[in-house]
Amino acid sequence: MADLVDSMLDLMRRLPPTRTEENVAALVSICPDYADDLLGSVDQPLQLKTDRATGREYLACDYNRDGESYRSPWSNEYDPPLDDGTVPSPKLRKLEITANEAFDTYREMYFEGGVSSVYLWDLDDGGFAGVVLLKKTMAPATVNDPSGSWDSIHVFETSERGRQAHYKLTSTVMLQLVTRKGNEGGTGEGVKKPEVKKGSDEWKRDGEVSLSGSMTRQTEQDWPIHDQSSHITNTGKMIEEMEIKMRNLLQEVYFGKTRDIVYDLRSVDDLEKARRQRELQKELVGFIKR
Amino acid sequence: MDATECIQAASSFLLQSPPGEINDVLNDVRNIISDDDLLQEGVLPALKEYNIAQFITVDVPGTSHQSIVSEAARVSLEGEEERFVDPRSKTTFIFDHLSLEASDSQPFEPDAEHEPFRVALESATISYLSAHFHDGVGAVFSRPNNPKEYVIQLVVNKYNPTNYWSGRWRSEYIVNLNENKVSGKILVNVHYYEQGNVQLSATHNLSFALPPAVVTSASNTSASKILALVEDEEGKYQISLNESYQEMGEKTFKGLRRALPMTRQKIDWDKVLGYKLGAELSSSKGVFGSS
Repeated sequence: MADLVDSMLDLMRRLPPTRTEENVAALVSICPDYADDLLGSVDQPLQLKTDRATGREYLACDYNRDGESYRSPWSNEYDPPLDDGTVPSPKLRKLEITANEAFDTYREMYFEGGVSSVYLWDLDDGGFAGVVLLKKTMAPATVNDPSGSWDSIHVFETSERGRQAHYKLTSTVMLQLVTRKGNEGGTGEGVKKPEVKKGSDEWKRDGEVSLSGSMTRQTEQDWPIHDQSSHITNTGKMIEEMEIKMRNLLQEVYFGKTRDIVYDLRSVDDLEKARRQRELQKELVGFIKR
Repeated sequence: MDATECIQAASSFLLQSPPGEINDVLNDVRNIISDDDLLQEGVLPALKEYNIAQFITVDVPGTSHQSIVSEAARVSLEGEEERFVDPRSKTTFIFDHLSLEASDSQPFEPDAEHEPFRVALESATISYLSAHFHDGVGAVFSRPNNPKEYVIQLVVNKYNPTNYWSGRWRSEYIVNLNENKVSGKILVNVHYYEQGNVQLSATHNLSFALPPAVVTSASNTSASKILALVEDEEGKYQISLNESYQEMGEKTFKGLRRALPMTRQKIDWDKVLGYKLGAELSSSKGVFGSS
């Protein structure tokens, strides 16, 4: 019943992104048989875990999960420990280690903080696939400070064709931004307290603005390969390019599109005045013509 | 999952529906739960709650205007058949929470003492709507249990499924002439879902005192002055919302991820691979795409 999964995905595309985890959990309990389909196709905020062996933070998602355990990219160990947890072949694990180092550099250069993790897995046809995860959170220092989080999930698949490799990349970025405004302290220029006439107990304004969501894009490209590490160079370039594109897109949608829609609902300027002015102008034009 | 839990989950989904998408959500839920008999009865309270909370607009039978279905519009007593009032046409009607249609209109006798001021507020509200909203709907209710209290509600919806977006602006003001104050809230929701799902949710609470000059004027003047204060508050709010946008764009968004690394150049991946650790890298400058 493919259309059941379609309905679930359509539903997830409509419900508030801030409640994705709760809603996915509800769908899984309604249709436990489709849990894998759903968990595999709905991106959820990445969870932060700490590697017990190295003390280093890593990111958990469906791709490094085996049962209830998550594999760390740093120690290759599952937590809680698993004796027979799925791990990449030794050759692929070597590449995974290098990829984690490379994308950790990428993370530092673009995010200047946060956590990254790369997981690779062997495919049945001899190729391999992987996921590059990046997460950064900005916690507010005070109640009225803006807060936010960025989660990137880049899933790719590659197959070698001689000296070329074909890559299919699906990227999702989840972005959440929240600003709170209160009466007192650090309210910003937008909320100015009138100094005369109104006493403080008679005057109150507070509120919250939240922009949240996710966007997904795909691309397929061919790149030359010289050795195994070419895969990191190639996916690195593709992911960097994709994130730059998506950052622009998010900027446009978050700060452009949704803002325009608010202005489509309410106009700051007096529409009635503008209407009257247009009519007056028409009359004048008519008058001059006569 | 038993029937009660299913209904609970379905109801929660429905209550989260973005503006104008309740039918899409309901269709998805029907397909997922695939038990129409169970749903038909079970989700009705959620649909009702959603319509009332979201200020759903309705064509009032026998009139050419729309009114708002909300808690303030509910006139039936506990245990009676649910009816809503459209104070503008002085009629009450039954509202079908699934088809969103009104029926069985009946005349409604407003409270004679407070009706003139309510009418004055209503006409001021309608002028305010046409000045600042594109196709807005407004309604003003007097409160039978709190004489000297009036509720102004307005809502504007824009649904554009072809371009994958929808939006809703709701405001409510309680004008209290006993304490000479106005308290209100503004709620803005936007959903943009072309190859993604992005939602704006903004809430704003406010209250202000009514200057004595406003309260003691004749009802028409007084009502226009109250709406002028509302206009001022909403205008300021829209500007502050714009500032929140700027702040989130300038501070938060840029703070999360840079457009380009500090070097203003993309990464030289061949060089990145030549280094083992990010720490080593940050102390060496040659790596950053000097080619």
